[in-house]
Amino acid sequence: MNKLIVILILGLSAVAAAQPGSAAQPPQPGSAAQPAPPADQPPPPPAPNDARAACSAAMNADPAFAKSIIATVDAKSDAKILEMHQQAAGQVAENQRHVIYAYAAMWILAAGFVAFMWWRQQALKAELAQLRRDLDAAAKDSK
Amino acid sequence: MKRLAVPILAALSAITLAVSIHYIFVKAPIQYTIMDGRLFQSSLFFNQKIFYFHVAQAFMLFAAVGLAGITSAIFLKTRNPKWDDIAAAAVDVAVLFGAVVLATGSIWAKAAWDVWWNWEPRLTMSLLLWLILVGYALVRKFAGPSADRVAAGMAIFGMVGVPFIYKMVGEDSHPPSGADGVVMNLGAEYKIAFLMSVIAFLLWFVTLTIMRVQTTRAEREARELRERGLDLGVLQ
Repeated sequence: MNKLIVILILGLSAVAAAQPGSAAQPPQPGSAAQPAPPADQPPPPPAPNDARAACSAAMNADPAFAKSIIATVDAKSDAKILEMHQQAAGQVAENQRHVIYAYAAMWILAAGFVAFMWWRQQALKAELAQLRRDLDAAAKDSK
Repeated sequence: MKRLAVPILAALSAITLAVSIHYIFVKAPIQYTIMDGRLFQSSLFFNQKIFYFHVAQAFMLFAAVGLAGITSAIFLKTRNPKWDDIAAAAVDVAVLFGAVVLATGSIWAKAAWDVWWNWEPRLTMSLLLWLILVGYALVRKFAGPSADRVAAGMAIFGMVGVPFIYKMVGEDSHPPSGADGVVMNLGAEYKIAFLMSVIAFLLWFVTLTIMRVQTTRAEREARELRERGLDLGVLQ
């Protein structure tokens, strides 16, 4: 009988050591058999699935709590959207690139027109001088 | 005095242009609302700086087309070629101003509306007017002996289109014209900048038109001398 008790105790301690929640192995998330934390340490945070389930349950149970949670989330989301809008508005408001493009286009077109006119006037001056010389020479020859 | 007219006008145009640039970029404010040290909302963005040159040159485009139309009508009535020379010069200047207005307008549209072009009535009519002006130049170059009269008709046709461009605006794009329009309701700081710009481009328009008239007259003189040379058998 004593032998049986010793074997039973050894067997139970071996089974206990092989359990996932035992001190030899780290606790698994979501495991129901977690060891109790020491009294001087804060309790570990609940697993995400547990927290979500607990929060959903609490929100379903208490509409005021649900409202406060929704308001908190909305405020965070609004702040993000507002920041995005502010950034976009800032980019549009301070856009100097297109102003530079517009002024460059204006000056380039005007400079091109003036250059073309100057070139045309020089060509015409030369052509008129040549025509006058030819006609004067022809008039002299006819005399 | 005639020889000095172009340099004097060009110098005055350059001075007023410099003054207008000072007013546009230094004096005319941009209205930002700053909240918590960050830009929150702006009633006038920086791209509004395009307005001063874009609209002033649009006015010069209308003036050039009007001048071309009126002188073309006088030419058709009197057949005096000096009016035709002025019309031809005015159309060439109008082609330049039209190209600038379309280019700066398209760039401004990209900055303000996020599109380069949207076929809004005023944009479409402006493009059509510019194409009529280009057509005028092509007719003068390639249409043969009666080109001046055909071109004069086109200039009058183009002039008729100007009031439509002024009045036609689409929704959510160009602001309305006239008494309720932007130009008539500008604040004092903006109005000075805009008026300086209009004066600068008016002087620039007159300078370019006089220069172009001189060129057109030289072209006519060259054409007449060539014809005389051909008649005399000097030229082949």
